[in-house]
Amino acid sequence: MLSKEQAYEVIDRVLAKVKGYQALILINAEETGLTRFANSEIHQNVFKDDLELEIQIKREKKTARISTNQLDEDSLKVAVNQVIANLEIIPAGEIELPLVDYPTEIAVEEVDPGLEQNFAVEKRAELIKQGLSQLGPDYQAAGSLALNKKVLALGNTNGIKRYARGDTVSFNTVVMHQSGVSGYAESLSDQGDDLDLLAQFELADRKARTGLEPVNLEPGAYTVILEPLAVGDLLSYLAYTGFSGRSVQKGMSFLAGKIGEKVFGENITITDNHLDQNTISIPFDFEGAARKKVRIIERGRAKELVYDLASSIRDQVITTGHSVGNRDLGGFPINLVMDSGDKSRNDLIAGTERGILVTRFHYMNIIDPRQALFTGLTRDGTYLIEQGTIKTGIKNLRFTESMLQAFNRVTGISKERQKVPHFYGYSYVPALKIDDFHFTGRTEENKEGF
Amino acid sequence: MREKFEKVLDYLQGQGVDYADVRYVDRNTESITTEDLKLQELQNMRSEGVGIRVYLDGSMGFAGSRDLNKLKETADQALAIARASKSVQKKRVRLAQKEVIVDHYQTPFKIDPFQVSTKEKLDLLMAAEGEMKGAAQLHQTKGFMDFQKEKKVFADTEGSYIVQDLIEAGGGIEARALGNNDLQVRSFPISFRGNRVTSGYEIIEELDLVENAAKTARETSELARAEECPSGKYDLVLDSTQLVLQIHESIGHPIELDRVFGAEAAYAGTSFVNIDMIDHFQYGSKLVNVVADATVPGGLGTFGYDDEGVPATRTEIITGGVFKNFLTSRDTASQLNQKSNGTSRADGWHNIPIVRMTNINLLPGNLEFEELLADIDYGLYFLTNKSWSIDDRRVNFQFGCEIAYEIKNGKLTGKIYKNPVYTGITPQFWNSCDGICNEDYWRLYGVPNCGKGQPGQSAHVGHGAAPARFRKVKVGVKDVK
Repeated sequence: MLSKEQAYEVIDRVLAKVKGYQALILINAEETGLTRFANSEIHQNVFKDDLELEIQIKREKKTARISTNQLDEDSLKVAVNQVIANLEIIPAGEIELPLVDYPTEIAVEEVDPGLEQNFAVEKRAELIKQGLSQLGPDYQAAGSLALNKKVLALGNTNGIKRYARGDTVSFNTVVMHQSGVSGYAESLSDQGDDLDLLAQFELADRKARTGLEPVNLEPGAYTVILEPLAVGDLLSYLAYTGFSGRSVQKGMSFLAGKIGEKVFGENITITDNHLDQNTISIPFDFEGAARKKVRIIERGRAKELVYDLASSIRDQVITTGHSVGNRDLGGFPINLVMDSGDKSRNDLIAGTERGILVTRFHYMNIIDPRQALFTGLTRDGTYLIEQGTIKTGIKNLRFTESMLQAFNRVTGISKERQKVPHFYGYSYVPALKIDDFHFTGRTEENKEGF
Repeated sequence: MREKFEKVLDYLQGQGVDYADVRYVDRNTESITTEDLKLQELQNMRSEGVGIRVYLDGSMGFAGSRDLNKLKETADQALAIARASKSVQKKRVRLAQKEVIVDHYQTPFKIDPFQVSTKEKLDLLMAAEGEMKGAAQLHQTKGFMDFQKEKKVFADTEGSYIVQDLIEAGGGIEARALGNNDLQVRSFPISFRGNRVTSGYEIIEELDLVENAAKTARETSELARAEECPSGKYDLVLDSTQLVLQIHESIGHPIELDRVFGAEAAYAGTSFVNIDMIDHFQYGSKLVNVVADATVPGGLGTFGYDDEGVPATRTEIITGGVFKNFLTSRDTASQLNQKSNGTSRADGWHNIPIVRMTNINLLPGNLEFEELLADIDYGLYFLTNKSWSIDDRRVNFQFGCEIAYEIKNGKLTGKIYKNPVYTGITPQFWNSCDGICNEDYWRLYGVPNCGKGQPGQSAHVGHGAAPARFRKVKVGVKDVK
């Protein structure tokens, strides 16, 4: 991977080629080794090494940008010529976007060498083999184990430099009984000794065994306990539809016109906090702005939104450092943290007379962004709770629910939280118990399974 | 390049591989977005590199690098990965036989979109936005254009050497209007950045964006004041602007043979379709005829050869409602003792080819649009996909559309509804189809964001359809208590 010195050398080399222009040079580099298994054997095993070099040049209300993954002189010359030509012909935009000028440098170079030691390609195969060997004869597993190395670096003609290295290991597995019943586990970390693969296999296996001989449940409103993977999925879509200044400006956000108002129950607090050690921090954004902690929902009240430069200027506020390089999104929170509660997951189950325990959701989508109305299906571990215990597995159900309503019906929050994947980053979330969660369909209608 | 590739393939053969291929891709894109009569984004991107796939003792390894001077290092990395795979493998992967091909394929086109000035493109989008702004009170207007030029070179140890020059172009417009705590959107010609095809700039001229802008704007404004779509069971007519996603999710994905064999079980999911269903499973009514056609002119899933060097084909998927064939790659087809039907494609140089849709098309029926409506006492006509969701076996689906038109006594009444949603069970839904419009109404649309695989890959696929009628479909969810 590009070291800080190598990244800065490339940035300076390109800045020299666009002399006379206000410019920003951004490098987004990634090296991924991913081992995938299905039917309890490795079926795909891949490595890729790529980067994206983006050149942005600006004049007054104009910004042109171009990107390439080739750093040789000829390729850079072609890219520079084209971006300059584009700047000349494009019309002025709505606002003038300044270049960040403070602080001079933000750099994070440290990574845990244990990641490479423990998750190089041979080790990945060994670990998967060990995990698969734990499974009973009627069970098979599928999943992936990936070592991902990332560098985000940038510099601009105001003289700032930014560099962040963020390496992670991620694992997911679905363990399936021959009847088709499945259980799931997923984990990720930026530490080499933090991810217990065998425990993850065991968890998925236990979930599959618990769900054997699932029953069909009629659609309707049920009390649910959503485990962290399911909560994280909901949070991702809430963030996409509504947590940015840009989404409010577009009229898409369910928080439009509601900043300062109570939108969720008082027990809900959601922060974007890159300083929380349970998220994976990049302390600056794609524009070089220092990332700030943003209190999005505080005790149920809509408090603050995340911004990139353009959306912050429109709202006459200071950017929160949440650009992800996508102008249409504006800012995007990549370190979401939801406050925990005071009960264990098991306490939440024990306190439920009748309800549904959900491991994770599948294929969620937005029906109405202004109402935060989402739909999706349960997957890989859905169970009926009766009189405080898990009674049986349930065949998968479709929910259609407004989060503006559901997050006002949260009656329990677990004290345990989990790191879960998010569109552009990672969230740290608890399990939630929600009353009257609406299931509007089921996946199996007859004996043939459909 | 050919010499370099043959050298590395010779090296790999010397290392004892069963098979290896080298794929070079140089992808250039241009993306333009306008918003409220201003340029929001003009972005050009280039991604170039090479991917090497090896099968060693029946085990797979793949490595990709953007550095073309590191072919041998990349090959060695692929070999090391294949050796690691071998330690957790039950049986050797076998690749189906294929022809040795040396050829060049070029997307047919008239006007190279990269030779058209950016100013001309912007002027067109601004003119379309101006028409929208002038026609109705709107919250926001947008315009989109996307172009892609891709050179692909494929070489393998069996002797194939294939060069392809593929060109894509597309565009569209979008209007947004605010209602009472509500945001409504209409898109033309289809949602999510418009239509996209394999073609030159001529497709942009054919879209008639300016001519269709005022109608799009007025409809959006009316939609913001419209009633919510009712809930219940209704006869439904789906426009081709919605059938695109219906076909994609409930036919295209379930028939991917790698998915059927469990390759996507932990991520994209599996399928309710299995290999015992070939030739007898009644997927849809007798009117339902579906093909996977990578040869149809203009389809976003149209090409000369897939990324295993297999020629593009037209394969029957559903004939007279009966399921006939899967989409296959060389490693999956061999398990059915078949040859690959050429659907194994990779997203760029840095990903492995996996089974992907090509153009999955619902063939036209024989009805005029008026005839399709004539047999409906009360029903709804849904247009333009807005949201999609389907379970991990592709059985229970739910789609949202931009607009619904009321049908009463066999005719459109002119009344529109907002936020239409329908849901169903895949085989039941396709078996409820009892009318499809004729070829005059058949349209081919592109889907440039089909997601699958880990690491995630995005495929460019197409779907053709004419408006079709479905009986007693569950509409809305608000009646579920």
